[in-house]
Parts: sequence; structure tokens; C-alpha cells
Amino acid sequence: MIGYVAGRSWLHRAHPYTPLALAAAVLLLSFAFHTPVPVWLMVAAALIMALATGTIREVLGPALLLATPTWLVLLVLHGLLGEPPKAPFGPFLLSEPGVARALVLGGRIGAIVIAFLAALATVSPARLVDGMTARGIPFGPIFLLVSTLTFLPRTRERAARILEAQQARGLRIGGSPLARFRALVPLVLPLVLGALAEVDEQVLALETRGATSGVRRTPLDPPADPAGQRVLRLGLVVVVVVAWAARLTNRI
Amino acid sequence: MKLRDLVVIRLGVIINLVIGQVVAALLLPLFLDAVGTILVAALVGPWAAITVGLVSQVLNAVLSGNFSWLPFGVIQVIIALYAWLAARVGAFRRPWTAAPAGLVLGVIAGSTAAPIAYHLFGGATAGGVMAVTTALRAVGMPLELAVRISSVSTDMLDKTVAFVMVSLILRALPNQLRARFPAHA
Repeated sequence: MIGYVAGRSWLHRAHPYTPLALAAAVLLLSFAFHTPVPVWLMVAAALIMALATGTIREVLGPALLLATPTWLVLLVLHGLLGEPPKAPFGPFLLSEPGVARALVLGGRIGAIVIAFLAALATVSPARLVDGMTARGIPFGPIFLLVSTLTFLPRTRERAARILEAQQARGLRIGGSPLARFRALVPLVLPLVLGALAEVDEQVLALETRGATSGVRRTPLDPPADPAGQRVLRLGLVVVVVVAWAARLTNRI
Repeated sequence: MKLRDLVVIRLGVIINLVIGQVVAALLLPLFLDAVGTILVAALVGPWAAITVGLVSQVLNAVLSGNFSWLPFGVIQVIIALYAWLAARVGAFRRPWTAAPAGLVLGVIAGSTAAPIAYHLFGGATAGGVMAVTTALRAVGMPLELAVRISSVSTDMLDKTVAFVMVSLILRALPNQLRARFPAHA
């Protein structure tokens, strides 16, 4: 959908945890608020984040693509088919409480999608790995996040090759739903069994690279994490905790 | 966690993410986004399967850009624990024992997903479920009930097929390969 977009903004140069913390704060605050105005302020905050990183053009298209179908369904489910009282809006009669609820739910989704797409656009995966390694994060979590993303395209290619090979052998992937269900087995079985057979080989390859040594690794060029950014992240935690405390005590 | 478990967990995550591609090519009304979680639960154990489920949920969000679905991660934990228990009682030995076990998981997972879908997303979630919800609401059903019915019915079908699929995979494992997974052997 969207990956890292090279740039020189403050968030591009920041420690990778900082843009991720900003996006996580938008997510948690969006769920803490339950009226349209503060939720749409979160959308504005996410848009400002994308603008500040210079990735607004890359972020806005995918964000609209992801959020628009949900917004339309929310409008139908809560606006058109919502509870009375209803008010005329052009040729339609829309539920007033339904529209308010759709605005809250739609705003949350918009804010979360924009904030995380902006964070993904500014966080270089390599810098994130260096940042995690420098913080002493064990090999396991780093391996799972990074290696899986590296392996995924290869497995997708293999799935496409198996599909072509089975079709060449006469497998029909069209027809009735039952026929398509039957086609699932000859496609999934070779893919999974082939991958399971390679597990030992991959374990051996990782062992020879010292993955099990248990020694803390040292990145060559770890990203700097100035005190200001650490304070900012701590501040975000405080804001989220205060917002949720206010929400749980019905003060917002 | 052992290195071998890590490699199997990675495999489980990849299966979760790639089978969706096969399902889309076949135009099936399913997600099948937990086959890897169920398989790892049967082959390795509950903690590995929970890790597969949660990492899949995060990576799915990273790849699609839609992080608003992260709260559904709790469903992956339920799937992992249930699949491990099902494996312990031998539910995967035959497809016809796996199918009813999958059906029950569908009811549990769908019932758990429905309140999340209703309260956090107002019923507007993913493709097939969303279409069923809208259709039921259009014929006058209350939204909360429409979300519950659509969520449970789609999950029952999805998890039944996923359990049968994992049963077929485990039955097709060559003995040499099976012996390398003590939890399954």
C-alpha cells in the first residue's frame, strides 16, 4: 500500500520510535473521544503530521482508498438506516444521532489510517531495526518483523507459480463456489508442505550466522534519540492516560 | 523461544498473509487469515500460535495501511488457544472431526468479534461481513443483531474451512517431517 518515502523532514530524522509513538497516540486518543469535534481534531492532527513530513501526497491517496468504502457504509448504516429523529438532507432523510455516530466512527478510522500511513512513510525499516537493536530488543521480535516482510514476496511468487502449474495440469479455478472450494486444496497443500520442508534448512542457515549466540548486538550507526524526543514520547503517554482516565470517569 | 520455533512462527505468519491471496484468486467469500495460527497451534503449541496471530495482525496492518483493525487481534489469541486445545483432543485427525470443531470456533470467534465490530466500528468492517450486515439492516433488523448474525455466520464458514484445511495439511505431512514436530507427533 505505502512504504517508506525518503525525505528530510524532522520526523524522517527523528528516532523511529517518535513517529510511531505519535501514530499510536492518535489511535488511542481517537478511541478515547466519542463526540465528532475531538475525533475530527485527531484527523486534523494526523493531517498536520503528514504535512509536516512532506508525505501528504503519498499518504492522502491510499488513506482515501482505505477509508472511503467504510465512510460510505457508515453513512448508509447509521445515516440512512439509523434511528429517528430524521432530518432532510437533499433528497435523503438522515438520522440525526446516526450521522453524529457515523462522524465519530468515520473520523476515528480516518485519523488512524492517515497517522499510521504518515508514520510508515517516515520510518525507514533499516533505521527501525538499528533503533530496536540499540535498545537491546532481543533477536526474536526483530527477526519476526523484518524477516517475515522479506520472505513474504518470495512466498507470494511461489503461490502464483503453484497456481499456474496446477492450472497447466488442468485445475479449473472458476465455476460454482463448490468447485472453487475444491480448487483450494491443490493450491494450499503444496505451498504449506513445501514451506514446512524448508524449516530445518532455514534454522541451519540462521545458526551459522550466529542467531542463537545470545550476545547483545551493536548496530554500526544507531539512530540518535535526543532527550527532547524522549520527553515528547513520555508526554504522549501522559496525554493518552489522562484522556482515557477522563473517558472512563465520564468527564469527556 | 527456540530458533526452530521462531522459523515456524514466521512460516505461520506468512501462511496467514499469503493464503488470502489464493482465496482472492478463487473469488471465495472467505478470509482464511488464521490457517497459519491454527497450524502452528497444532504443530508447536499455544504461545507460538498466539505470537503468529498477533504478528500477523500487526503485519497485515503494516501491509494494508489499515491499522484501525488492530483491536481484532484478540480474536487471533482465542483462535490460537482453541486450536491448541482442539489439537490436544485429536480434532484434526480426520476432516470430519475438524469440521465441527471449526464450526464451534466460528461461533466463539464471531461472537467475540461482533461487539468489537459494533461498538468500535459501528458494523462497518470488512467486505463480506459488511455486505451481510448492510443487507440485514436494510430489511429492518436492529444493527447490533445484524452485526452479530453476519459476524457469526461468516466466521462459522471461514473457521470450518480453515480447520478442515489444517486437518488435510497435517494428514499429508510425510512421517519424516511429522517426527520433527513433537507436539503433533
